Formats: sequence, C-alpha cells, structure tokens
Amino acid sequence: MAPNKEEMLDMYRKMLLIREFEETVANLFSQGQIPGFVHLYVGEEAVAVGVCSNLGDKDYIASTHRGHGHGIARGASVEKMMAEIFGKIDGYCKGKGGSMHIAAVELGFLGANGIVGAGLPLAAGAAFANKYLKNGGVAVCFFGDGASNRATFHEALNLASIWKLPVIFVCENNMYGISMSQERHQNINDIADRAVAYGIPGVSVDGNDVMAVYEAAAEAIKRARAGEGPTLIECKTYRFRGHFEGDACVYRSEEEVNEWKKKCPIQRFGTSLLEMNIASREELDAISAEVKEQIKNAVEFARKSPYPDVSELTTDVYCD
Amino acid sequence: MSVGIIANPASGKDIRRLVAHATVFDNNEKANLIRRILLGLDSLGVRRVWFMPDYFGFYQRVLDSLAGRCRLALEARLLDMKINASQDDSRRAAEMMAAAGVSCIITLGGDGTNRVVAKGAGNIPLLPVSTGTNNVFPVMVEGTVAGLAAGLLATGAVEPEEALQRTKMLVIYINGRPADIALIDAVVLADRFTGSRAVWDASKIRQIAATRGSTACIGIASVVGGLRHIGPAEPCGMHVIVGSPTGDAAVSVRAAIGPGLIKRVPVVAYHLLQPGQRIQVLESPCVIALDGERELRINAGDSAEIELSMEGPWVVDIDRTLAAAAARGVFREHRERPAGNK
Repeated sequence: MAPNKEEMLDMYRKMLLIREFEETVANLFSQGQIPGFVHLYVGEEAVAVGVCSNLGDKDYIASTHRGHGHGIARGASVEKMMAEIFGKIDGYCKGKGGSMHIAAVELGFLGANGIVGAGLPLAAGAAFANKYLKNGGVAVCFFGDGASNRATFHEALNLASIWKLPVIFVCENNMYGISMSQERHQNINDIADRAVAYGIPGVSVDGNDVMAVYEAAAEAIKRARAGEGPTLIECKTYRFRGHFEGDACVYRSEEEVNEWKKKCPIQRFGTSLLEMNIASREELDAISAEVKEQIKNAVEFARKSPYPDVSELTTDVYCD
Repeated sequence: MSVGIIANPASGKDIRRLVAHATVFDNNEKANLIRRILLGLDSLGVRRVWFMPDYFGFYQRVLDSLAGRCRLALEARLLDMKINASQDDSRRAAEMMAAAGVSCIITLGGDGTNRVVAKGAGNIPLLPVSTGTNNVFPVMVEGTVAGLAAGLLATGAVEPEEALQRTKMLVIYINGRPADIALIDAVVLADRFTGSRAVWDASKIRQIAATRGSTACIGIASVVGGLRHIGPAEPCGMHVIVGSPTGDAAVSVRAAIGPGLIKRVPVVAYHLLQPGQRIQVLESPCVIALDGERELRINAGDSAEIELSMEGPWVVDIDRTLAAAAARGVFREHRERPAGNK
C-alpha cells in the first residue's frame, strides 16, 4: 500500500529532522560541547526513514555506531536523544550511553552499537522472540558494508534463514568501511548477492530514494510477517560527512562527495512531492521551520538537563 | 575488426527478487559469461574488444583470469571514460564504441540495459545477452555462442544483411518533445514515484503501448500477447487501455507480468498501433515505465504521447548468423591429404 499524503509528509519531516539534528550535533561537537565521539548520518536519511515508516509497535530495530537517524526515524524524542548525546540525566540512557550506545527499548530501539556487526545477532534474537511470542512483530537490523564481512553477518543470516525468522537485514552500503573503500574490502559490489548463499531474497535499491527504500522494506516486512522468513535489502547510499566528526576524509575525493551531494535524498523527495502535486512549497517550508524550532528546543532541553549524579555510576549495569 | 562489450553490473538485482521470484544474476557469473564471449570472439580472429568501465571492474577481472592457460590473441581495451554508476554510463559507452567503429555491441543486461545502450549506439547493431529480469529484447544464449556470432559479423565472415534485423521502438514525447524511448513496452501507471522501479502492482496499470506481444514473454508484453501475438519484425505494435480491478472491463488477460507473478489485467480496449502513430497518455500526473522499469515522471500539467517507430536498434540474429556461416562452410576445416594417397 502506497503511503498517503500525510504519511509522505511525515517521512519528509523525519528526514529533515535527522538532517537538522545531525548538522546541529556537528556544530556543537566542533565547539567542544558534546563529549565522546559522534558518527553522523547526514546523507543516509532515506534509508532509516524509508524502512522505519513501515514499522509498528511490536517491531524492533538494531542500529550501528551511526545510529541517531535510526532512533529518530523510529520515533524517538529528539530532546531525549540530544540530552543523551550531551551525557545528561534526561537522556534515553540517563546520559550513560552517549551517541554510540543510545537505546530506547520502549520504542523497540535496541540501541546504537559501537561494535561493527553486533546488531545482526541482536536483531535475529529479537525476531526469534517475536516469532516465539507469535505477536506478528518483525525486527530490522541496520548495518554497513564493512559489517557484511563480519562473522556475525553469516551467523545471523544463516540462523534467520533456517528458522525463517521475521527479520529484515538492511545494509547501508555507503561504500566505505571507515576509510576502506568497498572495492578494497570485498570481492563483490552488490552485497545483496550474498543473500543467495542463505537461500533468501536479496535486493539492491537506491538508498537515496526514500520511496524505493520504503517499497522494498514494505515488501520484505510483509514477507516476514507472513512467516516467509528474512530478506536482505542493500541500500546504496553515501555519508556526506566523515566516518566520525574530525575525519579528514583523505581516502575519498571532494569530487566524489560533491557527486553524491547532488543525489541528496531530502532534496530529491522534496522535489518529487512538489512536482507530483502532493505538497505545496508553503507546506514544505512550514515543515522545515517546525523542524528547526524542534531541534533548537532539543538543544535547550539538553543544555538545561543536569549531568547524572556520581551514584548513577553503578546503576543500570545488570538487570535485576 | 572490433567489438564492444557493455555489461551492466546492476542488472538482475532489483526488487523483483522480493516481489516476484526473479533469478539473481551475480556479477561473478556475468564475468564468467564475458570470458566465454571473449574466447568465442578470439577464436574467429577478432582483433580488438572495447569494454565499458564499470564499478564492478569486469574488464580487469575477466582479463586476469585469461592471462594463464587461455591467453587471448585479441587486444581488450577499456574506454577512457569517467563512470558515475548510473544508466547513463551505458549510453555514453555505446556512443564511444560507435565512434570507435565497432561492428557490434554485445550487451549483458535486461530490457532496461538495452534500452539505454540503444540510445547511444545509433546504427551499430546490438547483440543482447540476457542477464536481467524482464528479458524480451535480449536472448538467453551461451556466451561462447554469442561471441562466435559477434565474431562472424566483425570479421566479415557473414554479411550484415544476413545477420541483422531491425527492431521497433517506442518514442515518448513530453510536451511535444522526445524525452525517451522503449524497446518493448511503455506502461502508464497511476503512480507518483519511480521508487524501486519495477512494476509488479497490476492495479496501477492504465495504458500499455508495446512493440511486441507474446505470452512466451515475462513482463507487460505478455498482456499484449494475451490479446494478439505481435512478432519483433511485424510492422505494428499495440495500445491497450487497462481498466480498474473493480471496474466492468469485458475482457481480462491473465499474464506473467513478472517471474512467477501471474496477474489478471482488465482490458477496456485495445488496437494495433501503426508505424508513426502516436497515442496520448491519458493520466497526469503519472509515471511511465519503460521496458519494465518506472522511469519517467509526468508532472501535473504536462502532456505525454507515445509513438511507434520502425527505426529501433539493429540486432544481430544469432541463429541466422550462425546458420549463414555454417552454410558457407566457415566452421569446416579440410585436412590436407598427403600427395599420392588417393
């Protein structure tokens, strides 16, 4: 079922929200206002939004070290996310997770993850739980091209395929594993090809086209909910910024970056909405203004929130 | 005496693996196929083969594996062009190959790949080898045989008039200006986005214009074929107006619109298209799928038309080429007998 106008505008809003969030984090990080490391999702917004726009309450997502976009697409509060990244008590993990370990289990967001490829078995496990509970839920795992070389990729896809788990493996192929280009780290170009080895469908889509991602995810989720098992979706995309903030990006050319910026997923979707008479310029401008205000408030919220007390150091470590 | 090879590294991977039951054609297998094509070409003495550069690197991978026991006498060269991993790479490569004077261009892909190559090839014939999903235009053929057929044409062992067949095409006009072409079908969809490109939801089809129709095809040409068979050389096409699934169309056609995807398509009206005849696209805004892929967005307020042209790309008819060569004794070798041994 194609999304209606309201749903499409919500997708546009979420993509803009991710972009504004990430660019604001970049700015604050460069000013030394954010502790730790940040890996930003700018340029890849269509993947998270295209996939998560198909999810319901019972569904889970497992994320990566570049996880802010996944959280926002899943419906996380930008105030609580910003507070978490600031290391404040009002963050999703009371400021103890930070950018790379932000999680919101109440939203089915199993967390960002500092270990490359660690989300794959987590998602397979969540999918197993859903299947066991017969609640109709699915799990989605986002991971990168580099992670597709990890043993966890093989283990998760193998187990998910043999047990027909309701899981969708979404590879965000942004062409680089940190600084290593895909052509130097694997002997294939289309990670979707690997699905054949597990006897599951594998498709490649334009990861900078939110509707292409949406359609592929919708079909894969439908298949998973019907008990037909997992799917591997490869989304060809690109991160506009470095692997981490401060990355000098000596491994890729400015020309390459500029070519990909011409394929900006938000601009493309916005143009389509206008040209196909789905939205007016005024509507899109209003969304843009609202998003800016929302992120401004999120920063304000994060700044005002206190740091966790030192007594918090030993809480939330083990489950009771 | 040269041949071009354009292999699409992106063919055979789209959403039809998920929404239908399409075959996965991975790039290492395409590389294998190209090796066999080269060996076929080499055996007939073709001197040079031009490759389109691509993100997978077919050229290097193929040649690396032919540097040992199966060393080639022919010279394989890579076109000096920058690629951007889009379909336009294939069009530009075809233009460059045409300028380099190749006898034909061997394509590896589906209908979509050949559509793009045809835009750049001009009068240079194509030898289309199927590695895509909707394969009406290209043929399922063993690479060695494809290489032999192209080699026979390139070396002059078979004359062009014996080997070539002219195909039809559709020209799509937007606001009166030619915007694109299709080799097999142009399908008007009640859709707003090109999205994941494939067409699998038959309820969105509003109009079909086609150069061919056969129930032996996979894709929209099978809808046309269910109404009347139209061969590749027949001087006509077809226009079909499709009804809504809940409407009262008198006829519906059961057709394999994708691999393993057999749907009923309600037909309100259909008529043959004559060469040069244009039909009006009745829906706006809409999306037009060309050769199985949602490609053109017709914006609100724009008008679009589709015309049948008899001036589609030339294609190497593999069977005819090989048969002509065989009839001429090209494949026969007579052993010299020693003198006096009669």
